[in-house]
Amino acid sequence: MKKSAAVALAMVGALLLISLFLNLVPGDPVDIMLGEHAALVDRQALRHAVGLDQPWYDQLWSFSKSLVTGELRSSLPPFQKKVLPQIAAALPNTLLLAFAAMAIGVALALPLGVLAAARSHSAIDHLAMALSVAGVALPRFWLGPMLIILFAIKLDWLPVSGAGSLRHLVLPAITLGVALAAFLSRVTRAAMLEALREEFITVARAKGLAPLPVLWKHAFRNALLPILTVLGLEFGTLLGGAIVTEKVFAWPGMGTLLLNGIEARDYNLVRAVVLAFTFSYLAMNALTDLAYAAVDPRVRKQ
Amino acid sequence: MVKLRGWSFWAAALLILARCHPESSESGVTLLIESPPESLDGRLALSGNGQRLAQLIAPDLVTFDDKGEPVPDLADSYRQLDPVSLAFKLRAGLRFHDGTPLTSEDVKATYDAIVKGEFSSPRAQKLAAISSIDAPDPETVIFHLKRPYAPILAELTLGIVPRQRARGPQAALQDERPVGAGPFRFVSRSDENHLELRPFSAYYRGEPRISRLQVRVVRDETARVLELLKGRADLLLGSISPSVLPTVKRNPSLRVITGPGSGYSYVGLNLRGPPFSDRRVRQALCKALDVPLIAEAKFHGLAVPASGMLPRHHWAYWDTGGCRRDLSKAAKLLAEAGYTTAGSEDLSAQSTPPKPPLRFTLKTSSDRLRKSIALIMKEQLAQLGVEVELRSLEFGTFFNDVRKGNFDAVTLKWATVFEPNLMQDVFSSRNIPSIDNQFSGLNRGGYANAQLDLLLERASGADRTQRLTLYHQAQEILERDLPYIPLWHEDVVAVVSSRLRDFQPSAQGFLQPLALAREVSP
Repeated sequence: MKKSAAVALAMVGALLLISLFLNLVPGDPVDIMLGEHAALVDRQALRHAVGLDQPWYDQLWSFSKSLVTGELRSSLPPFQKKVLPQIAAALPNTLLLAFAAMAIGVALALPLGVLAAARSHSAIDHLAMALSVAGVALPRFWLGPMLIILFAIKLDWLPVSGAGSLRHLVLPAITLGVALAAFLSRVTRAAMLEALREEFITVARAKGLAPLPVLWKHAFRNALLPILTVLGLEFGTLLGGAIVTEKVFAWPGMGTLLLNGIEARDYNLVRAVVLAFTFSYLAMNALTDLAYAAVDPRVRKQ
Repeated sequence: MVKLRGWSFWAAALLILARCHPESSESGVTLLIESPPESLDGRLALSGNGQRLAQLIAPDLVTFDDKGEPVPDLADSYRQLDPVSLAFKLRAGLRFHDGTPLTSEDVKATYDAIVKGEFSSPRAQKLAAISSIDAPDPETVIFHLKRPYAPILAELTLGIVPRQRARGPQAALQDERPVGAGPFRFVSRSDENHLELRPFSAYYRGEPRISRLQVRVVRDETARVLELLKGRADLLLGSISPSVLPTVKRNPSLRVITGPGSGYSYVGLNLRGPPFSDRRVRQALCKALDVPLIAEAKFHGLAVPASGMLPRHHWAYWDTGGCRRDLSKAAKLLAEAGYTTAGSEDLSAQSTPPKPPLRFTLKTSSDRLRKSIALIMKEQLAQLGVEVELRSLEFGTFFNDVRKGNFDAVTLKWATVFEPNLMQDVFSSRNIPSIDNQFSGLNRGGYANAQLDLLLERASGADRTQRLTLYHQAQEILERDLPYIPLWHEDVVAVVSSRLRDFQPSAQGFLQPLALAREVSP
C-alpha cells in the first residue's frame, strides 16, 4: 500500500517536472506543425484546437484526464493519432532490448567479477578491471557503428539496423549491455571481496570445503544483494541508453518515439513517453524488491 | 546459482538462434530517409520527405525542372487565357491507382475543398489568389484568379486526389492509404519507419521498372551509410554529408551521382540596428569572407559559390558576381563605418577616442557541418580584426531566435528555391516579422527597401518576360544592399547501389526520377 502510494507520487512528480520543462523549451510547436508559410488565422486556430493557448497547468489537467480515459491523442494535426497504441507498439521493443542488454550484461559481468575477486590482484583481475573501465568509457554512438562494421559489414553475420528477427536484436543489445556489464563486474568484484572477508568464509574454509563451493554457495549468495540493487538502479540507465542505441540501430522503440515527439514538439507524446519510462523504472525497482526476498531469506522474514 | 545459469543459457541461445536465422532474399529497391514523413497526403505534408513521397504517389498538374521551369505532369498542356485565367488540358486516359479515371472534376474538387476551407490544409493561404475553378469538360480545368498571380503554378503543387477524398469523411484516408495517379502506388505502412510502394501499371509514362520500392527511416547517418555498404539499401538522396563520400566512393558496388542543387546557404544579418544597419559593414563582411575557399574545403567541390538566392541554372538567375575576398577594400569599408581593423592600429590610436573593433554574435544550429563552417568564418574575419562570437543552439531554440529577430548574424539555408517569388516573401518589408503577424513573416533581418518592394510586387503579377527583367533588377539591388551574405548552392548528392540504374537526381531533390529508373539484378 505504502509502495503504490510512493509509485503514484513519483509518477505525478515526473509528470509535473516534464510539463514544466516542456513549457520552458523554446520553439513554437505551431511553427513546426504548420510550417513557416502558415497564415495567422490558421496558427491561432491550431493553437486553440490543441490547447496551446491554455496555461501549462490547464494543459497538464486535460492531458491527465485524457490519459486516464485512454483517449489521449497526439498534439499534432491533422488526424491526431491516439498516443497509447503508439506506446503499446513501441514499449515491448524497448523492454525487449533493455532485458536482452541486461541478460548480456549479467552473463558477462558475474563470471568476470567473481573470477576477479577470487583471484584478486592477479593478471586476470587486472585484465577484467581494465576491460570494465573500457566498457564504461566507450560511448554507445561509437560502439554501435564499430560493432556494425565488424559483425555486419566485414563478417556479414548480422543485419546493420532495423528490427524483425532475433538477429536484429544482437548488436543493439550488446551495444547497450556492454556498459552495464562493465559497471556490474566492478560491483560484483567489490561485493565478492567483501563477502570473502567475512568470518563465515574462514569457517567454511576451516571446515575443509573445496574452494569452488565456498565461492559460489557461501560468498556469492551473500554478494548477490548489492548486485541486485545495482541491477535495479541501472535499469534506468539502460532505458536512457536505449534512446541513443535505438537511434543508431533504427530500432522502433520508445527512444525513437521520443525523438520523433521532441522533433515535432508533440508535447502529449513526449509527456506520455516520459511517463512510460518512469513507470517502467518504478516497476523494475518493485521487481528488485521482490527479488531481494527471493534470494535472501532474512528479507523474506521481514 | 540457478539464476545465473538461466541467464547464461538464454544469452547463449539468443546468439545461436540469431546466427542461424536465414536472411530472406528480397527483390526491389530500398530508399533510406532520415526522418519519417509526417503525412503521405501532399495537402498536409510540410517536410521535405513528406512532400516528396506524397508527390510520388499523387502528382500534380505541373512539376518543375532543374531550371525552375514548370513542366506539364498530369496536365498535357496549359495556357494563360487572360491575366487572371489559366487553363489546363489533362492527359488522356489518366487513372488513379484504384482504377477510377482521373478527370477535371477530381482536380476541381481537390482545390475547391481547400480554397473553401472544407479541407483544412496549411497550404490554404497560398491558394488565396484563386477565386473559382471551372471544369467545362472532363479534360479541361480553368482556374480563375482574383488578381494576376504568377507563382500560382508553384502553389498548386499539393497532389490531385480522387474527388470523394477531397473533403468529408473519406478525406482522412489520403493520409493512411493515399491514392493518386503517380508512378508508385501505396501498399503498406506497417509503422512510422516502414513504407512499401509498388509500381503502378497504368502510370501515364509507363509502369516503372522497379518491382518494389521500400522506404525505411534510419535516423543515424552512420547507420545509413553502413546499410548502403552492406548492400541492404539502394538509394540515399541528400541525407549524406560530404565528408563520408570518399568512403562510399571506394565501394565498387556504390555510385555517387551529383548534380547542381537548388538549395541556398547564406548568412542572414539583422538590419534593425548596428552594426549591420550600416550597409558598409555588410559589404565589408562580404569582402572579408573567402566563400569559394570554404565551399571547396567543406564540400569538396560539391557546392557552387552563390551570387544570390537563385542558383545558376535557374531561369531568372542574374549573375551579380557574389562575394569575392578583398581584404583591403573590406578594411577601408569598415574604417569608413567607424571600426578599427587589424593592421590599422596606428591610425586609430591617433584619433580620439580610439575606434572599437567590429564585434558581433554568429548563431548556428548544432549541426556539426554548420558549426565547422562558422568556425572558418570566424577565423577569416579575425584576420581583419573582426571579433565574432559563435553560438550553436538546438534547432528549435535557434529557429525561435531567428524568427523573433533575436540575433546579429545567423547561418541558414533555404532547402529548395524554384519559385523566384520567394524573394518577395523574404525581402519585402511587408513580411518583416512582428507581433502583429505573430512573427510569421520571412523577412527576418528586417530589411526594408521601398523600390525593391515595388519591383517584387509587380513581378508577382507580371508575365514571364516582364518577370525576367524585374527579377534581374531585384537581384542587382540585393547585391548592392546585401541583406543576406550569399554563400553557396550545395549540389544534390545521391548514392545508388548497383541494383538501381538510370537514376538522375533532380536539382530539387524530387523522387520522381525513380519513375524512370530501372532495377537490375546485381
